[in-house]
Amino acid sequence: MADYAIYLDTSKCTGCKGCQVACKCWNQLPSPLGKNVNKPTGSYQSPMDLNGDTRLIVTFKETDTDQKWGVNWSIGRRSCMHCTNAGCVAVCSSGALYKDPNTGFVSVDESKCVGCEYCASACPFDVPRFHGSQNKINKCTACMDRISNGKTPSINEDKGETETQFNKPACVHTCPAGALDFGPRSEMIAKAHERVDFLKIRELNPATQASVYGENELDGLHVITVLKYPVDTYGLPANPSVNPVTNLLDWAKPVTGLAAAATVLGLGVSFLMGIGYKRGDLHYDPQKHETIDRNTGEVVWRADGSVDSHDKAASKNKKGGE
Amino acid sequence: MTTYIKRHTLQTRLTHGISVVCILLLTISGLFVFVPALNNMLPSEVTFAMRMGHRVIGVLLVLAVMISAITAPKGVGHLFKNYFAKWDKDDKTFMKRFLPYMLMPKKVHMPDQHEVKSGQRVADGVLFLAGFMICGSGVVLMLGTAPFSLAISADVMIIMRLLHDIAFLMLAVFGIAHIFLGAGLFQPYRRMRKVMFGNGLISESDALYHWGHWAREELDKGEKVVEIDDEKK
Repeated sequence: MADYAIYLDTSKCTGCKGCQVACKCWNQLPSPLGKNVNKPTGSYQSPMDLNGDTRLIVTFKETDTDQKWGVNWSIGRRSCMHCTNAGCVAVCSSGALYKDPNTGFVSVDESKCVGCEYCASACPFDVPRFHGSQNKINKCTACMDRISNGKTPSINEDKGETETQFNKPACVHTCPAGALDFGPRSEMIAKAHERVDFLKIRELNPATQASVYGENELDGLHVITVLKYPVDTYGLPANPSVNPVTNLLDWAKPVTGLAAAATVLGLGVSFLMGIGYKRGDLHYDPQKHETIDRNTGEVVWRADGSVDSHDKAASKNKKGGE
Repeated sequence: MTTYIKRHTLQTRLTHGISVVCILLLTISGLFVFVPALNNMLPSEVTFAMRMGHRVIGVLLVLAVMISAITAPKGVGHLFKNYFAKWDKDDKTFMKRFLPYMLMPKKVHMPDQHEVKSGQRVADGVLFLAGFMICGSGVVLMLGTAPFSLAISADVMIIMRLLHDIAFLMLAVFGIAHIFLGAGLFQPYRRMRKVMFGNGLISESDALYHWGHWAREELDKGEKVVEIDDEKK
């Protein structure tokens, strides 16, 4: 099975937050229900950041239009980008985070998560969040439970026929504006480029910075985004990268295992070579300032330096000092 | 009657004993938490409990060593004086012969040593350094994650994680060697276990074998010398 990807066209997104709600519903993630629990921020974005119960938020950013009215409203999405070179998977101590071999998505096996939070520090997008009461990490799983459970028939409106498709992630399934899509990654990339070309030619000034985000970043993301405005407008890093230390961590466990095994092996040889070792029974006479071997009565060390076979006398082995 | 020399005080032995228990528990809990193959053998609730235990035991270890050091500043001074003592000819010879001695103890013989062998200075120095690294990085990692969740940058956390892993590697290699020698598994080092885990006394013969210069100095002074009737013992 080829790599799959979630497609987002920010130029089509209406900011309805249907995807945010669908994510919470499907994954049974509660929202605070108390009155005025979410403090007013002056933004439509709510909550303002991801948290232990929120894997996906729709982001809103208003910028000036240099006119007397209106704003440029860039609406985006903040959630896991499902990197090919996923720092979170590299540092995951328990193997809870994994790259699904069938789709390329980065998913979570919560039963394995120990809540160490190292993934949070390795993510260039600052996505994984700690769910305090469950002591687990919480991040988008690409609805692996949906998409891995077979295909469902759907109607292809363009062709006017019924075809079977992989189940879509909840956010994609619910998007009323057609801003989200799901399919083979190569198809999503082609679709994104087509849309960017369209935006540059038909809708916007060709000099606009509409672009495709996720094609090559971190060896390819599995969320392909059509950005209508410059990348920083959406709070995304222009050149995301995994901290190189993260890759070193990949080596730490096998190197430690090998080093420990080599040490045990070396000491095992040493142990075998030491079997049968015999040592002299040494006694030091403080009055005479000399050391004797009680077994032989021989002086093996004298303070004046006239005898100094202590090191050999200490060992009573055949090939040793005797 | 057998002549013994007092080598380790009760406080030293207690601190060492607490450290040994803590390090063993930290190693077991650390391996089960951080090695996926081991981790997956247990329910995540158990590994979570081990992770929390890892932190508590880590704090106990740091506290035990710090309290011991604070209450015995002279002992700490003495320790560091020995560790940073200038190397003499015998010290250098000891190091040169160390590997051949470990592999051919019946053929290679070691020179007299002072209170802390040059090999001990190197090996214990690595253990001290790794201990500081693993404790320091562990404290930062603990504070940067729940329930403390201090605002420590992601880069710092990743570097601390790497230091934690490097320190564990150093501790694994030198710790195994330390156990091999200290527990007396190596034939020429037999009976050494009793010095730290027993009453802190070392027999005159063993002391002369391992630390010849030191043993003669102590036997000359007589302050730490104890005569014990082996039959009564």
